[in-house]
Amino acid sequence: MIPEAGTGALLVALVLALYGAAAAAVGGRRGRSALVESAQHAALGVFALITAAVVLLIYAFLTFDFSVRYVANNTNLGTPFYYRITALWGALEGSIVLWSWMVSIYTLIVILRHRTSARELYPWALSVMLSVVAFFLLVMTVAAPVFARLTPIPADGRGLNPLLEDSGMITHPVALYLGFTGFTVPFAFAVAALITGRVGDFWITTTRRWTIVAWYFLSLGLLIGGWWSYHVLGWGGYWAWDPVENAAFMPWLTGTALLHSVMIQERRRMLRLWNIALVMLTFSLTLFGTFLTRSGVIASVHAFSQGSIGVFFLTFLALVVLAGLGLIAWRWDALGAQGELDSVVSRESAFLLNNVLLIAATFTVFFGTVFPLLSEAVRDVKVSVGAPFFNQVNVPLFLSLIFLMGVGPLIAWRRASVESLKRNFLGPVLVGLGAAVVFRLLGVGSMLAIVALALTVFVATTIGVDLVRATRVRRAMGERALPALGGLLLRHNRRYGGFVVHLAILVVVVGVTGSQAWSVHTETTLKRGEQAELGGYTIRFDGLRESQESNHGKVTGTFTVVNGSGAGTVLEPAKKFYPQEQSPIAYVDYRLGLMNDIYLVLGDFARDGTSATVKFQVNRMVSWIWIGGLVLTLGTLLAILPERRKAA
Amino acid sequence: MKPKFLIGGLVIALALGYLIWAGVTQSAVYFVTPSELSAAPVSGKAYRLGGLVERGTLKWDPATLDLSFSISDGKTRVPVRHKGSAPDLFGEGRGAVVEGQWTADGYFKATQILAKHSEEYKAPHDTKEAQSKGLIKTLQKGDR
Amino acid sequence: MRRRWRWLLPLTAVPVLALLAYGFRLNPHEIPSPLLGRPAAPFTLTSYDGAPVELAALRGRVVVLNFWASWCYPACYEEAPALERGWRAYRDRGVVVLGVDIQDKDEAGRKFIQDFSLTFPNAPDPHGKVSVDYGVYGVPETFFIDRQGAIRVKHVSALTDQIFRETVETLLAEPAPAR
Repeated sequence: MIPEAGTGALLVALVLALYGAAAAAVGGRRGRSALVESAQHAALGVFALITAAVVLLIYAFLTFDFSVRYVANNTNLGTPFYYRITALWGALEGSIVLWSWMVSIYTLIVILRHRTSARELYPWALSVMLSVVAFFLLVMTVAAPVFARLTPIPADGRGLNPLLEDSGMITHPVALYLGFTGFTVPFAFAVAALITGRVGDFWITTTRRWTIVAWYFLSLGLLIGGWWSYHVLGWGGYWAWDPVENAAFMPWLTGTALLHSVMIQERRRMLRLWNIALVMLTFSLTLFGTFLTRSGVIASVHAFSQGSIGVFFLTFLALVVLAGLGLIAWRWDALGAQGELDSVVSRESAFLLNNVLLIAATFTVFFGTVFPLLSEAVRDVKVSVGAPFFNQVNVPLFLSLIFLMGVGPLIAWRRASVESLKRNFLGPVLVGLGAAVVFRLLGVGSMLAIVALALTVFVATTIGVDLVRATRVRRAMGERALPALGGLLLRHNRRYGGFVVHLAILVVVVGVTGSQAWSVHTETTLKRGEQAELGGYTIRFDGLRESQESNHGKVTGTFTVVNGSGAGTVLEPAKKFYPQEQSPIAYVDYRLGLMNDIYLVLGDFARDGTSATVKFQVNRMVSWIWIGGLVLTLGTLLAILPERRKAA
Repeated sequence: MKPKFLIGGLVIALALGYLIWAGVTQSAVYFVTPSELSAAPVSGKAYRLGGLVERGTLKWDPATLDLSFSISDGKTRVPVRHKGSAPDLFGEGRGAVVEGQWTADGYFKATQILAKHSEEYKAPHDTKEAQSKGLIKTLQKGDR
Repeated sequence: MRRRWRWLLPLTAVPVLALLAYGFRLNPHEIPSPLLGRPAAPFTLTSYDGAPVELAALRGRVVVLNFWASWCYPACYEEAPALERGWRAYRDRGVVVLGVDIQDKDEAGRKFIQDFSLTFPNAPDPHGKVSVDYGVYGVPETFFIDRQGAIRVKHVSALTDQIFRETVETLLAEPAPAR
């Protein structure tokens, strides 16, 4: 009964979404507000119906309704309560439900916020949003039916993939999908702008905050994904340039480019065409990501299930890309620039270069990801390029981007005079160079690490210089230091929110640099009581213990870790034996620290418990990456606060 | 002003082109089957070798961390050596992909072993629950 | 001049889209097997009904050899009805469907056959010899053997009605071996 109700709800939602998309388009074209209002009601209905489907699916999970294939596949009687809810997005079909649900939520917010403020664009934007929802509903009803039955009904389900039984997996997909779907809104308004011919700057200012929100969730999704990879997968890394990761990284890169290029358009009326194209590209890449990971076209160690879904996504992707480019061609003349670049040394060119580099990085990642396909199509050889390729090409690009991060916010618009350059940058450049020397003297061997850290210091100094200077100006007007700083942050919240986000990126960069340069690892077999030493830490193997958990058996190794000063702590990496899995799953144990993480993975053990093989890692400064995520959250919040400048 | 931007763009494009070209030539990994590898082995070239871990060939020495086994595609077998314990999904009679190089000494030196994990496609196994319980019993005996 | 050229803009995306579409040509379920085109290894098993199942005796017929297990789902559960439908539709045209149950418990295997009312011969592979001979490393896997006794197609993961029909039709269209 429940599966039928769910399927029914999704079918009706599909019909409503299609109707709403058509009604909004006709209403927009003919200027009939009654039709647009009707489309709004349809959107509300779509949201209610998808919500109902989600609730039904959760109910099926909570009641172990194994007659639903998706439930049987992703839970079993031993699955803990929380994971029974999050199993909702544990696999393909549920992710699509989640995705469409989020777009429908965003559609509602668009209705609430822009119903009156963006009158001309709004009906078309609504139509595009509902079309996107309709696409996902179509996928759900035809290619990946989430409520499909399983007969005969098994006595117990197969269970969630054990690797997904982790708190990171509860939040990671949600954040990632909020990011992916968030870009639907700028896309919808870009299409609306092209259709109505109002390609001016209105749509950009309308969607700027949306872009920030989507970008933030995407960043968060990437960081949580890294965290999951780090503490679950047991290889001690957080990023592997796997196709699935690349798929999420590409829209992040173009989204980052967009955040910056929007500012040039707002300020200088340039880059209209570029911004429209960037929005289209970002949205297309979110679709491409799903296509890539779910179609099985590119093999990935993440190995999602494959299905006919790839064809759907490619068709939709082709439709979006071709229609988008067609619309751009149609409005070509209106997209011409109003302003002109005045000088190579100006904020415009710094931002432009930032965009070019980000697009170059996107292209690199795209190229590397589809390279196996390309080489097979062109040369009929199966060749892939791995992490070395991505690192080698992207590191110079990213270093240049960090440098620009210091230059962009302080350099003058239009044309920077030598005098202003000297005033703004002489100090930070000297501090950066000084830092490089200090790092070298401190014994930092890696040239790459020195450059990256010195650049970080340079950028941080530029931010500091700007804050100090601006505070001083306000103090000169009679305010005290702290209130002056606070007022500054709040009044120019957009600018300083951006600065805080930059700081967050710097913190992440330090974490990545440190972990790449100084982490050490070893693997060794220890007898009970035996010790191993690595990176200033000693571990001692104290024995094995076994236990039976709710849905798996577990063999735990006990290791005592002692650092140089003698303080000891116990780490217990384990192997979990899930009945439904053919192999044990490693359970990593770790102690996080600001500078050092101790990280243990139980590799193998003697059946009698007398010895164990353990992977022992001391990872440096990885925590900075997660701290960067927190700073990023603060900066984003600051940046999307309503602007106070006009009120003051 | 325009020429300056054009030249700048050209320089960036060329630099990127060079970076990508150099990256591809240095980090290309060739997918091969044991038969393809045996037909034309080039030592020093990076390969990704896929096949079955042949039954009865898996040897693991915890003391030296030496892992050795043969990867086979039914026709040809390639001896593989690796330093370190095997990943979780690795085992005899199962599919595996190893990344590494062919050595002049006539074996494949693996730097990485990838065992694939899939949602819908399942390798054969015994009733694992019984096995893990048996293992736990063995361990208990060892402790007392 | 520029006005007309702009309509070529959408064409720039075509090569990329074509490349992605090319990816579908590579069916990830059709795993390249060194056994393709080679004679299928002979075997004799005893079916769950107690009848002998001998591959060599089936020379001249198209054989669909399916490896499954009762603990494998959803894939095996999905394809079992398709196999049964294919068997019923094509048995009169000289097609034989053979199921080999690997690494399974006897009663679980019997229950599976009963649940799906499978009527084609199914046999356990007690020592795993047949699955080793065929390089099976997961279930389900299905081998299509032509009338000459050669393995022609290896399909990994759940078989569908469409793949069954298309592959079998292709093999049936080939001339029978001269005797």
